[in-house]
Amino acid sequence: MEYRHEKKESLFGNVDWVALLLYLLLVSVGVAAVLSASWVEDSENIFAFSHNYIKQIVWLGISLVVGTVLMLLDRSLWHKIAYFLYGTAILALVATLLFGRTVNGAKAWFEFGPIRLQTMEFAKIAIALATARLMSEYGFAISSFRSLVKVALLLLVPLAITYLQNDTGSGLVLCSFIFMLYREGLNRWLCIPIIFIAALFLLSFLFSPTVLLVALILVFTISEMFANRNWRNSVIYLAALFGGSTAIFLVLGTIPALSISYYSILLATTLLSMIGVCVYAYRARLRNIYIMVLLFVVSVMITPTSNALFNVMKPHQQNRIKTFLGITDDPSLNYNVRQSKIAIGSGGLFGKGYLQGSHIRYGLVPEKHTDFIFCTIGEEFGFVGSILVLTLIIALILRLMHMGDNQREAFGRVYCYIVASILLFHTLINVGMTIGLIPVMGIPLPFISYGGSSLLAFSIMVFIAFAFDAQTTRELPTYSKF
Amino acid sequence: MGREGLSPRAFVARVIVAIIFGALALRLGYIQLVDDRYNELSDNNYLRNVVIYPPRGEIYDRNGELLAQNRLCYDVSIVRKDMPKYGFDTTRVSELVGMSREALIKKIRQSPYRRESRLTRYPISVEQKLLLDEMNIGGFYTSQRTVRQYPRKIGGNLLGSINEVSKAQIERDDSYSSGDYIGMEGLELAYESVLRGEKGIVLQDIYAPQAERNTILKMPVAGKSIVCTIDAELQQLAEELMQDKVGAVVAIEPSTGEILTMVSAPTFNPDELVIGRERGNNYAREIKNPRMPLWNRAVKSRYPPGSTFKVVTGLIGMQEGVLRPHYQYSCNKGYHLGGEHIGCHEHPSPLGLHYAIATSCNAYFCYVFRNILENKREYAIAKDGFEAWRDYVLSFGFGRKLDSDFLSEGAGYVPTREFYDKRYRKSWNALTLLSLSIGQGELGCTPLQMANLAAIVANRGYYYIPHIVREIEGQDSLDTRFYQKQFTKVDAKHFDAVVEGMWRGVNRDGTCQGAYLKGLDVCGKTGTAQNSKGKDHSTFISFAPRNNPKIAIAVYVEHGGWGAEMAVPIASLIEEKYLTDTIKRPHLVEYVKGHKIAYPMYK
Repeated sequence: MEYRHEKKESLFGNVDWVALLLYLLLVSVGVAAVLSASWVEDSENIFAFSHNYIKQIVWLGISLVVGTVLMLLDRSLWHKIAYFLYGTAILALVATLLFGRTVNGAKAWFEFGPIRLQTMEFAKIAIALATARLMSEYGFAISSFRSLVKVALLLLVPLAITYLQNDTGSGLVLCSFIFMLYREGLNRWLCIPIIFIAALFLLSFLFSPTVLLVALILVFTISEMFANRNWRNSVIYLAALFGGSTAIFLVLGTIPALSISYYSILLATTLLSMIGVCVYAYRARLRNIYIMVLLFVVSVMITPTSNALFNVMKPHQQNRIKTFLGITDDPSLNYNVRQSKIAIGSGGLFGKGYLQGSHIRYGLVPEKHTDFIFCTIGEEFGFVGSILVLTLIIALILRLMHMGDNQREAFGRVYCYIVASILLFHTLINVGMTIGLIPVMGIPLPFISYGGSSLLAFSIMVFIAFAFDAQTTRELPTYSKF
Repeated sequence: MGREGLSPRAFVARVIVAIIFGALALRLGYIQLVDDRYNELSDNNYLRNVVIYPPRGEIYDRNGELLAQNRLCYDVSIVRKDMPKYGFDTTRVSELVGMSREALIKKIRQSPYRRESRLTRYPISVEQKLLLDEMNIGGFYTSQRTVRQYPRKIGGNLLGSINEVSKAQIERDDSYSSGDYIGMEGLELAYESVLRGEKGIVLQDIYAPQAERNTILKMPVAGKSIVCTIDAELQQLAEELMQDKVGAVVAIEPSTGEILTMVSAPTFNPDELVIGRERGNNYAREIKNPRMPLWNRAVKSRYPPGSTFKVVTGLIGMQEGVLRPHYQYSCNKGYHLGGEHIGCHEHPSPLGLHYAIATSCNAYFCYVFRNILENKREYAIAKDGFEAWRDYVLSFGFGRKLDSDFLSEGAGYVPTREFYDKRYRKSWNALTLLSLSIGQGELGCTPLQMANLAAIVANRGYYYIPHIVREIEGQDSLDTRFYQKQFTKVDAKHFDAVVEGMWRGVNRDGTCQGAYLKGLDVCGKTGTAQNSKGKDHSTFISFAPRNNPKIAIAVYVEHGGWGAEMAVPIASLIEEKYLTDTIKRPHLVEYVKGHKIAYPMYK
């Protein structure tokens, strides 16, 4: 596909100044927060290079220079080198896995003298570009199974490598691509089950199989009721199912040798009843019931296998999920989240004032300048400050989605949405984890967390999107030009 | 895709973003604005309550000399989080805190990571603390404590000791908490509430312990000092005299009830039981000692009073009207009637009360005792007479606690009618109990009760409750019970005859001429208590001078033989020391000190 771009005289005349301003505000907040988090009151030389915030400022300078250069490059370049970048990224990830440096248990870093880079931060850009290119290829159809498998493969390779690197947190970012896929028209019957099964996976730790099975039966039957508006049949089905299995339980229960639990009887009865339901659906020509039945059977299968799946996770991941769900309350496991919640919670409406946060000062919050940087904002600027920072990020995300919607071809649109998805995922996970909404995953808050490679990578990512936007005409396409 | 309207998918995507923003904002609002819990937790996170221990009240003797004072020391605690990552000189630290290096490392490994925990069970000295500070290792904190120090090293059982409070004690009294010290036994226990003071609490910023940000929530209040009634020099002399013997010495000022000296022998060096590394071993050694040095014999042990009790029998007889001082009874080497036989030593016969007390005639008091119990005009049967006799004895402070300020005071024992009914299946009479008349049989008295008897005779009929404390800092007076005269049921007029007898015993031709002190008019009564275990117990009660007495004393030496053999010289030397402030018989001191009694029963 070849596009003709109607460039205006000045490139910067077309730059989305709102987005750029949002970006600049966010990185400034970031430097301020890093300064606060690493502030030592009686430091002798506050401009020494060893200080985190000075390093952060240097990295910000580099990011701005790189960003400006990227704005000057032609967008078609990215389309051309997308696969090449992807291949390089995969090689780099593998190289990291083999020769990398281990930080916090994850072998995900490369070290060049004083500079440490997390490979996945940069690989994300390549993956985003490659996905955008794949999805803008001729013949790609979101509704086609073959196309979806290609996308899945593209994402699964780096995900597998990050798992081996013990850095699944960074890899899981790729899951956020589903947001972009939805926008691109992914069948909603594929979106809902994925989210549903993920939720079910977590719930299966909290409730006993019997409770979960009964809940599943009720949820599915009731949604069936709403979908087909056939109240009578649903009620009859429920009554027959529970009455029948209870009767069988009472009869079989009298035989002591069998010692069958109610759960297994209910499970067997329900699965058998599915045949009847399918026959009914065939006769009544209600096709949505098939999907329901399939989803139900998968859900029922997941419940007992979730423990097996759980065991695939690394112990620290298991602990984080257990802690989050409240299954264990070992204080040494949820210490980070507890301290972070206390720091943020003690901020109140307006916070304790800049550089006044006692938790940050005293190092009570671990990783206070990297993954838990949001605590600094929450404690020192309170609710108002936190919401303000959150609003800035969300506004930038919405702006990127807006850019995507304004793109004239799939490549740019998909790319912008991927960037938005990644930022959204990082924000949700990072902020959610500091306030105890989401299990702990070691991923940074974009533009704000301390870390040069993270800042540079996020900057490159958004500047490419800015460049795509700047190089697209705002007018409606004039097809006559082709 | 145009600008003029969003596709439905793009719209839903924005709704999802909005929902995520909303969820985060709601949660933020909840923990920052609604839930107050976090503010409080926040303070607890970096502020800690530091307990400031008050110095314990000091103990002075009656002349203002220090008996128990405080020594500064330090508790060491650690916070593993603040320790240097690269390690430190564990060998040197282990020397300073007095642990083995292995124990130190183990203790540090097992300590909580962020919470402060105590490193050593025992405090370290000031020198060790300064050396530890000099090393300047992170994660080590010291806090001031005080432990006892005893300049004279006397009065072990009298003063008691201090130990760390036990779990059971904390459960009983929640004003104590783990790590506090509490008095054990003696004065330290009895006046614990006065001596302990009040702990202070300082709210300290963990990360700036020396800063002015520390707020004092409660000032510590130092324990109040106590002036006790003990005369330190007298106490020291008495302890020296009692060395290598088992028994007790109690001396009381009759006009006030103040205890001048209280020795329970064998005693122990109170410095050995000061909180510290050696306390456990020393305590175990003392507790295993068969002579039981930790048992305060002076207030707890039940001894047969022996002949000293004849004084009481005589007084009751006179009050009951069955005895006049001039009544004479004959003594034919004892008292013989029916199957009963109570022997006596060689002395002129017949004899009156004065001489009977002075020579300690057994037969005389057997007659008196029978006359009391078999007084047909008053009592129908001897058992009623016995009950009347018992009431008299109790009024002298026997068979019950004197209510002194020793919490562990024993009651002694005076048998009851029911006791004999049970023992003799109700068939008993005055003859059955005859040995009570001379202080044998089932009678049990504490040395404190015996000294109190001496004080009663000295006062001619009353006593003040014996007590150990003279003055408490900041208090005008003691408990009112110590200022009230406790009268016996015997009128004052009857006492003169007994005093005369006790005076003769020392100054004329009695059993205790060894207690004679020129010009001091010492009065005394010896006792030789038979016992089933071995040699007789040697005992002596005495007071001096005869008129306006200054000191009343009881000495009890287990298996010391005749009363005159051991108890008399000891009491006499103490009286001499107290009344004249010198000792003119150093050879006697040496003799008594060097006199070792073998105690095969304490093995």
